[in-house]
Amino acid sequence: MEDNKKQYLQLMSEIIAKQAVILGPDAAILKAKKAGVITDHKGNVTDVEGDAFQTFKQLVDGYKELLGQTAENVINPILEKYPQIKGLIKL
Amino acid sequence: MIFFMLAEIIITIAIIVLALIAASEFFVFLENKKVKNDLAKREEDAKHKMYEISILNELSEKIGYSLSVKNVIEVIIGSLPDFIDYSVVSYMLLLPEKIIFRSYLKKSVSQKFIDQVKEKMTDSLSAILNADFRNIKTEEMLWGINLNEELNGSVGSFFNIPLVIGDKVAGLLTVADTKDGFYKEKEMTTLYKVAQRASGAVTRLQEVVESENSRLNAMVASMTDGVIMTDTDYRIVVVNPAAKKAAGLENKNGLSVLDFAKQLEGKLDLKDKIEESARMEQIFISEEISLPSGFYKIAISPVKDKWRPLGCVVVFRDMTREKEVERIKEDFTSMIVHELRSPLDSIKKMIEMMRESEIKKAKRKECFQMIYGSSSDMLELVNNLLDIAKIEAGKFELKKQQSDIEEIINGRILFFDVAAKDAKVKITSQLAKNIPDKVEFDPHTVSQVLNNLISNAIKFNRENGNVVVQALLHKEGGSLQQEAKNSGINWFVKKDFADIPDSLFVAVTNTGIGIAKDQIGKLFNKFVQVKTVFAKKGGTGLGLAITKSIIESHGGAVGAESIEGQGATFYFTLPIQSGAKI
Repeated sequence: MEDNKKQYLQLMSEIIAKQAVILGPDAAILKAKKAGVITDHKGNVTDVEGDAFQTFKQLVDGYKELLGQTAENVINPILEKYPQIKGLIKL
Repeated sequence: MIFFMLAEIIITIAIIVLALIAASEFFVFLENKKVKNDLAKREEDAKHKMYEISILNELSEKIGYSLSVKNVIEVIIGSLPDFIDYSVVSYMLLLPEKIIFRSYLKKSVSQKFIDQVKEKMTDSLSAILNADFRNIKTEEMLWGINLNEELNGSVGSFFNIPLVIGDKVAGLLTVADTKDGFYKEKEMTTLYKVAQRASGAVTRLQEVVESENSRLNAMVASMTDGVIMTDTDYRIVVVNPAAKKAAGLENKNGLSVLDFAKQLEGKLDLKDKIEESARMEQIFISEEISLPSGFYKIAISPVKDKWRPLGCVVVFRDMTREKEVERIKEDFTSMIVHELRSPLDSIKKMIEMMRESEIKKAKRKECFQMIYGSSSDMLELVNNLLDIAKIEAGKFELKKQQSDIEEIINGRILFFDVAAKDAKVKITSQLAKNIPDKVEFDPHTVSQVLNNLISNAIKFNRENGNVVVQALLHKEGGSLQQEAKNSGINWFVKKDFADIPDSLFVAVTNTGIGIAKDQIGKLFNKFVQVKTVFAKKGGTGLGLAITKSIIESHGGAVGAESIEGQGATFYFTLPIQSGAKI
């Protein structure tokens, strides 16, 4: 269970890092906070406010709201590295 | 004592009242503060909403029907000062050959700041498109207030907005400031929303234009004429397969005007003519040019809309077929002239002989006979030409009446009896017993058809050969072979015609050299002579073209079959009910 959450935090850290390059760190982290992600000053995800899967879903939806299909195109390759989570979400 | 107690009570009440008043004042103050905060928030929300509406209105007004992403970005940039504070706003546009980078400086910054913005934008585009843009040529321009190299401020806050048209990233818009943590979520979200709406509008417009373009492209691609369209810089924007084929460039992509110019070298200076046509605003049409794939006329025309030139269009008109028809007509004319000259020459020689020498009466008769024969040949040729002219002019009239085909066939066989004997050819008939006594057709023209077929059958026969004229009745749905068998006829036509309506079938078969398979299709064409047939024995082939027209005017069909070295059969049908087709 704990391992599972760790994977989500790692995945979200990667996505936020990528979005920070694309959107800029301010926009990327603001969207992450809105989704319930707790980050340190570098933008690494340290915890989530609620359920990890729901937070991850909200994070992806938040980026999709800003970037549309482009967000999916960027998140998909990262998601490939997490096959267990990939099977649970349909972008 | 009582006085003191009363005073104490009064003071206590007064304190309580004052405390209540103070508490209520504080409560009112708090309430007012909350209301003020709510109002400020609502005002802020309304400001965002107003901005969103006004910028979208402005976008639709200013952009209109423009497909330019640059226009969209510049309208957004123009509206930003009313809504958001920033030091620099920049955009990058991805073009096929370069990147355009523009920055508007609202506040003075250093070149270092601009370089940082540029680097962040390049990184963003690289991350989105998974491509390296560092080595791509970048066209840079700054506007707004001047750079100040004495300033040390770096980029403190920024956010990037990718501009996606259709499903392609067309560019990036970046708002940046020297202060840290300067941008709030709401204003960023509003800008993303505005950019998305603007991109969506351009995408929809582009889809409409693309749909129109694809129709236009499909039309141009399916044109038999070759078409090239160039822009004002003489770059090819449209080229169809026919143009590539004309120039022998079918397998080459990414073609330029120079590729076509090279193919036309020594025949037409294409580049020069395109430039001349655009400059003089004149249409240029070339002479016929021989290219590897055929003969072409090349037309070059300037293209412009209401206000400005758009480029040039080059059309390759394929003249190969016209050229071929012209050659066939020339050959035909030569052949006719030759066919007329030969009998004329004979007549002239006969008359000269008769005029210059004392010839015996018997010889004189022979000369007259030859003159008669030659003039008859000429008359037949002239009649045929007149018939063809009538057919082409649509003035060939049938005089249909109830006629007896058996009587006509027998009459024609009798007529050709002498000629057949002279040619040492035996002529016979095989007529089915169930042929109707009377069928409606034009007896005169059908006789003419039989004359053509029988005379050819005699002419192109071998010595001691045979000519057989056959006729049978075909019933719709029946097998012609079976019908022939039932009538006791040895039917030479191998093709079966079960699906044609009730008709008379007439066939004339000879035992001559026959006709090659690939020549049979040319037999009934008035301008094409079948060499194997006419080469040795002479003849124009016009008779068969006339035959075809006469039979088709009756609603029937003509055809031929042959086994090389064994002979040939020519047949025609006459529908018993009009309008029948094979």
